[in-house]
Amino acid sequence: MKQNYDFKIDKIKDLTSEEISLRKKNLDLFYQTGFPNKKDEDWKFSDLNSILSNNFNKIANNDFLPREKEFKIIDEFEHNFISLFNGKLISKDFPYEEKNKILINNFNYKDGLALDSKNSLYLLNNALATGGFSLEISKNYKLKKPLVVYNNFSNSLKEKIVNYKNSIILNENSELNIINYINNSSKENFMVNILENINIKKDSSLNNILINNSKCNCYFYKYIKSDLEKNSNFKNYLLSSGLKFNKLDIEINLNEENSNSSVFSALNLINKEHQEIKTRINHNASNCNSYQKVKNVLNDESKGVYQGKIFVKNIAQKTDAYQLSKALILNDAAEFDAKPELEIYADDVKCSHGSTSGSIDLNSIHYLKSRGIPENEAYQMLINGFLSEILEKLPEGKIKNFLKEKLERQINGY
Amino acid sequence: MKPEDLKNNKDYKYGFTTDVENVRSPKGLSEETIRFISNIKKEPKWMLEWRLKAFNRLKVLKEPDWQKPKYPKIDYQNLYYYSAPKSASEKPKSLDEIDPKILETYKKLGIPLVEQKRLNGIAVDAVFDSVSVATTFKDELTKKGIIFCSISEAIQKHPDLVKKYLGSVIPLSDHYFATLNSAVFTDGSFVYIPPNTKCPMELSTYFRINASETGQFERTLIIADKGSYVSYLEGCTAPMRDENQLHAANVELVALDDAEIKYSTVQNWYPGDEKGVGGIYNFVTKRGACRGKNSKISWTQVETGSAITWKYPSCILQGDNSVGEFYSIAITNNFQKADTGTKMIHLGKNTKSKIISKGISAGNADNMYRGLVEIKNKAINSRNYTQCDSLLMSNKCGAHTIPYIKNNNATSTIEHEATTTKINEEQLYYCNQRGLDQEEAVSLIVNGFCKEVLQQLPMEFAVEAQKLVAISLEGSVG
Repeated sequence: MKQNYDFKIDKIKDLTSEEISLRKKNLDLFYQTGFPNKKDEDWKFSDLNSILSNNFNKIANNDFLPREKEFKIIDEFEHNFISLFNGKLISKDFPYEEKNKILINNFNYKDGLALDSKNSLYLLNNALATGGFSLEISKNYKLKKPLVVYNNFSNSLKEKIVNYKNSIILNENSELNIINYINNSSKENFMVNILENINIKKDSSLNNILINNSKCNCYFYKYIKSDLEKNSNFKNYLLSSGLKFNKLDIEINLNEENSNSSVFSALNLINKEHQEIKTRINHNASNCNSYQKVKNVLNDESKGVYQGKIFVKNIAQKTDAYQLSKALILNDAAEFDAKPELEIYADDVKCSHGSTSGSIDLNSIHYLKSRGIPENEAYQMLINGFLSEILEKLPEGKIKNFLKEKLERQINGY
Repeated sequence: MKPEDLKNNKDYKYGFTTDVENVRSPKGLSEETIRFISNIKKEPKWMLEWRLKAFNRLKVLKEPDWQKPKYPKIDYQNLYYYSAPKSASEKPKSLDEIDPKILETYKKLGIPLVEQKRLNGIAVDAVFDSVSVATTFKDELTKKGIIFCSISEAIQKHPDLVKKYLGSVIPLSDHYFATLNSAVFTDGSFVYIPPNTKCPMELSTYFRINASETGQFERTLIIADKGSYVSYLEGCTAPMRDENQLHAANVELVALDDAEIKYSTVQNWYPGDEKGVGGIYNFVTKRGACRGKNSKISWTQVETGSAITWKYPSCILQGDNSVGEFYSIAITNNFQKADTGTKMIHLGKNTKSKIISKGISAGNADNMYRGLVEIKNKAINSRNYTQCDSLLMSNKCGAHTIPYIKNNNATSTIEHEATTTKINEEQLYYCNQRGLDQEEAVSLIVNGFCKEVLQQLPMEFAVEAQKLVAISLEGSVG
């Protein structure tokens, strides 16, 4: 769909001539390949180029910002928030925290437009990104309440692409729970392309939750690059059902010893939804753990993909790495593809992966039916049990209840 | 290297060459070479045309580059594509007429051609370099209507069967090495089992690379007609060589209704020396088609040799209720590299497949399992089970697993599990304590690790394979 690109760097305001030329270089490199297609090994199971050409007539970069910037605040639990509209940082509120401990700004585009990337969406983001935020938590500060990042998208983004970058830095011995909340309910097709850089310093801990508010025709791509120092923790919970297309590309570098990372995902896909979780966990130091559990329920003509890679460097002895992907396929037109990869160069390690896909257990359905539960409810119960398992590791509390309730709504229909 | 040195070289037990005068094709890959091969084999016109078609296709194909083990560029113009022992021009009628030097080679290899042939009950179609020079037990097989001969002979005598099935599983234009093989293949085995026949013995071929600078391009075609059964053994040993030799064979299996083919391989080509110099490139295309209902194809492989092993014996499960199996042991030591695995493509209803892969990596080696399990939309009620385990024996080696899993239907189930660990210290300690030295202990543990696969091999092979496993890992645990 190259002929239908309408990407204009001059839509972006306040750029120095140097920036413009760098962005142009990125855009030229993007044009060489266009949107990734299935010939690209990383996109083998998600041919974005053909998905886009089937659903978009043309695609242009967005410069629109609505005047009315109202959105519904989550009232189930107390929280701090940052609000973005079409990628632009609009408001922030940290009522529960010490103000000087948290540094929040617009993303600084002066640096971080690296050219060398095989990922053409990365290049496109470099060329067109505006907005986004950078967040830094001070040393020894633990946020008392979670932070919700409202990613609001206006309803007038028809055939537009929104690009932005975020940066999150947790300094030594700090703690943060983030809930990335995607908020849009428009019927228009649009695309979002986010790059996020996460730096977790010594003894720090980050819980990263991604959840979608409602069904929307959003084609979502997010690339998270994270670097972990000694004794740090990084947990991801991905609950993005409802997006038309979604690919979450997560790179975790365990750079120093005793760091831990995990990825949990529960998706219930319907209609023609297509979602992919791609991870790359680099064990670059000894005594690190990584844990991944990806669960998919596939209805109708949906497609779920899991591509996970564990890389263990030769010095990363005593590594414990685990990958599990499970899929329930409920319709013959649905599809699940997996590529759980291990690349191991150290010998004293424990690495394993498992992947299963199949149908729901009919004996269990029969059991429930024989106890008077109607068939569709029996299905919902089993699906619920299957998916909500991934929330188990979360501590009890309002957030867990909120997520559980959201998940249930995702399963039972919005 | 002098023959005396070779005799003393215990690292590679089968490292010897036989001095036989060779008939060679012109050097390099060209139409002329293909015509030469076709001419010397007195092939009919259709076969030459088929080869030339492959050659034309080859011109537009590119060598694949996605594999993990990289290798220096192969100069295809610097290879001889055909070389045959001289005695082949006058085909021997009995064993006595065979060049005694060749017989000597077989003896060193332990091929039971003379003394042991009846004891072992194996009919041997020994391929010495590129031409079949001896085929035994033909009478007994002929009585049952089984055809077991070289592919060149089959092209002459059974052109209908060859025309019908050759290239039907691995098409002419499949990929670079398969197409190269189609253009220049020199010889190989042909097996046809008639309907409702159980082949009374295990069929076996010993391949040997002998002439220096000769790529081996074998072509094997096995057809099991309705209700038949055959077990086929393939074993490889190769002499000491310094330059890399290319081995790009094609193996095609076809199983019709209710037929079963069991294909076992023990591969021990020259792996190169401790520094990674020399060794064979083993780029083989093996593919089986379960065409008929209730058919079954089972691949078993023990890969211990070659500098680079790059192959994926695959099953296309077309017939309803068909079964595909893949059992593999891949051992890499020193600088060896392996990129092997399988493809199971489920097309028919109620099809089943099972994959058991054991990878063992020592020294500076790299061992990779790469596989595809794909259950297509119409293959309802299908099942796959995959297990790949890797064992690492040093911190300089690598073990990798890349499975591709595609499930496209609601009634089918795929299960995949993989583990990577090092050799268990406690088990080693236990064995040492009971008086086994380090190497015996490793051999015992590794053989236990591989047991599920070794069990699948026919008796004679299982014994040899167990020894091979031990020899391949000598000195790998310090």
